[in-house]
Amino acid sequence: MIPLGHYLILSGLMFVVGVVGVIVRRNSIVVLMCIELMLNAADLALVALSQAAGNLHGQVAAFFVIIVAAAGAAVGLAIIIAFFRTVRSVETSDAGELKG
Amino acid sequence: MNFIILVLEVLLAFGLALGLASFCTWVERKGSALIQNRIGANRAGAFAETNVLLLKPFYFGWRLLGRLGVINTLLCDGLKALFKEDFVPQGASSFLHALAPFLAVVPVFMAFAVLPLAPEFNLFGYHIRPQAASFYDGGVLFLLAMGALSVYGVLLAGWVGNNKFSLLGALRAAAQMFSYELPMGVALGTVILVYGTTDLYQMVESQSGLWGIMKSPMMFVAGLIFFVSGMAQTKRVPFDLPESEAEIVAGYLTEYSGMKFLLFWLAEFAEIALVSLVMVLVFFGGWHPFPFVSLPSGSWQAALAGHFILLSKVVFFCVLQITIRWTLPRFRYDQLMNLSWKGLLEVGFVNLISAAAWKLAA
Amino acid sequence: MTALFWLLAFIVLSSGVAVVSLRSPLNSALALALNLLAVAGLFAMLQAHFLALAQVIVYAGAIVVLVLIALLLLSSKIEQHKRREDYLAVAAIVLGSLFLVVLFPLLQGALPQISANNVQVTAGTVAEIGRLLFTDYVFLFQLAGLLILTALCGAVMLARSRPGQGG
Repeated sequence: MIPLGHYLILSGLMFVVGVVGVIVRRNSIVVLMCIELMLNAADLALVALSQAAGNLHGQVAAFFVIIVAAAGAAVGLAIIIAFFRTVRSVETSDAGELKG
Repeated sequence: MNFIILVLEVLLAFGLALGLASFCTWVERKGSALIQNRIGANRAGAFAETNVLLLKPFYFGWRLLGRLGVINTLLCDGLKALFKEDFVPQGASSFLHALAPFLAVVPVFMAFAVLPLAPEFNLFGYHIRPQAASFYDGGVLFLLAMGALSVYGVLLAGWVGNNKFSLLGALRAAAQMFSYELPMGVALGTVILVYGTTDLYQMVESQSGLWGIMKSPMMFVAGLIFFVSGMAQTKRVPFDLPESEAEIVAGYLTEYSGMKFLLFWLAEFAEIALVSLVMVLVFFGGWHPFPFVSLPSGSWQAALAGHFILLSKVVFFCVLQITIRWTLPRFRYDQLMNLSWKGLLEVGFVNLISAAAWKLAA
Repeated sequence: MTALFWLLAFIVLSSGVAVVSLRSPLNSALALALNLLAVAGLFAMLQAHFLALAQVIVYAGAIVVLVLIALLLLSSKIEQHKRREDYLAVAAIVLGSLFLVVLFPLLQGALPQISANNVQVTAGTVAEIGRLLFTDYVFLFQLAGLLILTALCGAVMLARSRPGQGG
């Protein structure tokens, strides 16, 4: 049996890697991918805790997280595509039109 | 000993996949020739002679295979592809160029792992079920997962070609593949609903009376939707746009030659065999010879007979798919998308709801 | 079993770092697909079988494909290395480690309570999760369906080409 702490540490590390990615990368599609990484880390924590608690409520919660992540990714990519039409670039540093 | 049985089951599934794929290549070559009123390949190996009397029957068999085009398709094409120059386009990553055929082939072959290939039998005290992997929720959902993963090879192959034709072909292929994954998923959802299980072995077991496609009119519609979606997933004509052989050179396969091209081709034919196998297992009774006639269970002779009955039905469906390919013209892209999103998906949903209502009422 | 866990954990972490650090966005997307597949393997180890397959079908098989298609359409260039990024990266890693350092003592307190239960694990099959979804969580399930419908309409509306503008 793998102790619960191992799964939670793995989930925490994955989450931190995702946060670093969101902060550092400038390509907005890669930022979206790092957000998916963070959501996945949350999924892993939920499922690990669900197994430790012995019921399936955590897994149902993880299922809903997957659904919300899918919806978020779809809308995020649509926004990026709409943004690309006017600015012709996906770099976040090119999105400074409202800058004072 | 269980491990050895598992290894044998895996080898059987893998061998069946490869064998059916090779058989489909041959049927494609010779069958297309017959449909198009020409002869096809019949020269390689057709003139072998020997003076040694004992070897004469073998040479006769070899000549027969040569006349049928088997040696040409299986042996000569393979050798030719092995010796061709492997050309990576300029500016493309050779790692990705080598990775794409593998990403196309692996999901298709992995999907053969959850398919039962013969009824259970007892041999020397061991109870053997010829299904390489049966786990919770395996079966049908695993097939959907492998179908979803097979899009990667196509996308990568198109990108790595480094030109517009490949990219266009790849994007069209990917859009087509996941547009038809949805009706396939809905049809398989109907199947799970009617059978009450996701395990393919249980599904075949429960067809000892009525076959799957006869259980209710909803199953008939589901079978039809699954067959059409399966043909679209394998990118066969009439859903042939990704490889439009006359329009965009070879679509996403433009920059591939030699063995890598053959790997893509192998993946496509293995997928034809996969779709046929799943059709037979889920809708057409699997290894039961006729509706209401079932094999005596438990002996290895029955398992062998069941396996051959299964193979003959699968061969029928493979030949059917290849015949459809050489008979129908190609769909236009918007016709293709309309069929999936406005046609099959709606029919699939209505079908699913009626199947649920039918099951509640019955 | 433990060997499998360590292998999957290694794949998860290395592909996660690859997503963040690879220069070409296409390679990042492929690393993300590998990451999601490894996490699906971890789900299967945790007896969440339906969730593992759903992860492969939805996440690795649809979302990453969507991201790949967007990447191929927008033909993203390789990012140029900027000095400012190094400082940002160090700051981000420091902040992340701070988060972990604060989190784990909190976990250490709660862990013995949770893992001491040693309850019988029910496998997360389609039947069991379906039962929960349609009894306890039926309202959330319908809401999730509505959410996906809204996201679908919204995405189509946002991304379609308007008349008079290049598509």
